[in-house]
Amino acid sequence: MRQRTQTAYGFLSPYLLIFAIFWLWPIIHSFYLSFLSTRRQPWSFNPGMTWGRLTQDPAFYNALWNTLKILAIQVPVMLTLATLLAVLLNSTLLRARGLIRFAFFAPVVIGEAAYAAVFRLMFNDEFGIVNKTLEGIGLDAVSWFSNPTAAMSLIIIAVTWRWVGYNAIIILSGLQSIPQDVYEAATLDRVSPRQQFLYITLPLLKPVIVFCLVLSVIGSMQLFAEPYLITNLGGPGGATETLGLYLYKQAFLNLNFGYASAIAYTIAALAVSISILNLWLGRERS
Amino acid sequence: MRHTTVCAALVLLASTGIARAETEVKVWSWGSAAPALEATLEGFNALHPDIKLTVDKLGYSDVKSRVLAACAAGGTGLPDLFQFQNTEMELITAQFPDCAADLVPLGFDADQQAAFPEFKMFALRQGDRVVGMPWDSGPVVMFYRRDFYEKAGVDVASIETWDDFQEAGKAVQAANPGVTMINDNLNGGAEFVRMIGEEQGCGYFSSDGESITVSQPGCVAALEVVKSLKDQKLMTAADFNGKLQNNGAGVVATQMSGAWFEGSVRNNAPEDQHGKWGIMAMPSVTAGGSRAANFGGSLLAINNNSRVKEAAFTYLSYALGSNEGQITMLREQGLVPSLISALDDPYVSEPSEFWGGQKIWELVLGRLEKIAPINGTEYFSDADQVVIANQTAYLAGGFDSAQAAMDDAAKQISFATGLPIAE
Repeated sequence: MRQRTQTAYGFLSPYLLIFAIFWLWPIIHSFYLSFLSTRRQPWSFNPGMTWGRLTQDPAFYNALWNTLKILAIQVPVMLTLATLLAVLLNSTLLRARGLIRFAFFAPVVIGEAAYAAVFRLMFNDEFGIVNKTLEGIGLDAVSWFSNPTAAMSLIIIAVTWRWVGYNAIIILSGLQSIPQDVYEAATLDRVSPRQQFLYITLPLLKPVIVFCLVLSVIGSMQLFAEPYLITNLGGPGGATETLGLYLYKQAFLNLNFGYASAIAYTIAALAVSISILNLWLGRERS
Repeated sequence: MRHTTVCAALVLLASTGIARAETEVKVWSWGSAAPALEATLEGFNALHPDIKLTVDKLGYSDVKSRVLAACAAGGTGLPDLFQFQNTEMELITAQFPDCAADLVPLGFDADQQAAFPEFKMFALRQGDRVVGMPWDSGPVVMFYRRDFYEKAGVDVASIETWDDFQEAGKAVQAANPGVTMINDNLNGGAEFVRMIGEEQGCGYFSSDGESITVSQPGCVAALEVVKSLKDQKLMTAADFNGKLQNNGAGVVATQMSGAWFEGSVRNNAPEDQHGKWGIMAMPSVTAGGSRAANFGGSLLAINNNSRVKEAAFTYLSYALGSNEGQITMLREQGLVPSLISALDDPYVSEPSEFWGGQKIWELVLGRLEKIAPINGTEYFSDADQVVIANQTAYLAGGFDSAQAAMDDAAKQISFATGLPIAE
């Protein structure tokens, strides 16, 4: 038995070694770094410059607030749309089903840099198709990159566009696992389709939706590429700066690795606690 | 055994022979600086046919983040040469003292160093080491559309202060529907605050780099000018590429930038704009001000791990350290030499056809001696991010006054750096 355990660990060792060097060690080392002032060589022990700063840094709170805003607005909107989309994609009336399902899933396959460039062009203040269309139907053009609220909306639109199809496909698989005879029985009892959706589909989908919720929450906590690429490093003036982007700026633009480590630990702690909350809300009541 | 040794020696000899036949030097560069380097190759390869330079043109922020990441990784992935902004070089010397090679042992002696002005050398000294060669400097000037100004009856000679400029702006916009007076990179930078503040002798940090001066009157006045331009709708936001797009579309009358922007304006202008552009000195906040500031300007540094440091230095000595190299880059891309002797070159006093026959370089270089040096310090990025955020908040009505916005910025920068706020 003991021999077999050793053999198993022997086979596991290449992975464990890589895990230890590239995961475990950085995680431990960054915890140590988070107590150092890394402003000038040599680095010195000074948690006031990292954890102390974190408690009263307006730029950090701005990034936290922006991330929570995206979390509170984008995630519910996206999951609602994804659920509706999944029901539509599941409809028996739908033709060319595979093609249409792929079309909604496709945005995930596209590289971030490519889609960010297209969004920048589409929402360009002067020449973009979005503002030209708004003007064409008699509305005012929007300064998508200069107005803080508009820039935040743009990020939410972009992220929703990219991920709604992905979530819809996951929810669709949940829909298909609901037995048809439940609906048949409901139809015989003259339950309206709307009531069927509210009292049969949604409750049975709950585990899948909670799964999507947890994934989306973690994704939002780590949101980086869109504000980096679309709104030019979280512009205007930090209006779309997320926690992930703020961490990146501190680490790799200001070279303040100690403070960046403290931010990283804070993001991880937030993501874990929000996920636990989600799981607790979605738990099965027995 | 002996045979193997001889064979190995022969192979080694042969391979060094090949290496000598063609040494490849790779460089990361951005904007109009990259094509400027390419423009020097003809002259350089006539002298040194054995050295082949490969220029990777990236965006400015890409070069910056990739260089910093590579330095953090001990120089892995760094090319032999890289461009960096003078004001930001101290970030590298403070955190990665071994990332950029010392040029002194390669031949950058005291005489050669004296060929460059001290305000360019300042950020490159690290004790006795010199970690880069100065490239260009960025005297701030205004690039304006003569035809738009003329149509409004505005004489540029009458524009001395920002108040004058705003009056002119109203006239220009009234006479040219659809045209905006000026663009600033409001969404991604605090460029006007930096330029106008520097004209008033105010930078983010004091000249010794030991205190924070962003809440001093010069910087506050700069933020007030930006707000006034924005509120009167004389200014819209555009980043580097946005400015060039607006220029091309003919929807902007003026751009303010370091003189290195000259090549970008000239080389991106459509054919029918030739002769329609002019250059004037930047306005001052106060009548009788210096009307001079520096914005941007770079250096080239050698990767300390490079295997071809000598070849890289040979290239630097030609491209940046000789009149021929510097004047080529001035002619092709408008990069203003920081090599002092290049400023006396006859090319500098020639009129420029694109700029309506104006002797632009006399005007630009005339600004140089009035520029007050500004200390960027290794905390420049920290400070810039805070000022950008507070600028946006102030423009959106988040602060009662420019002074309040800058006081708050000074407090935040002090917190991030541990430096005191200047009285």
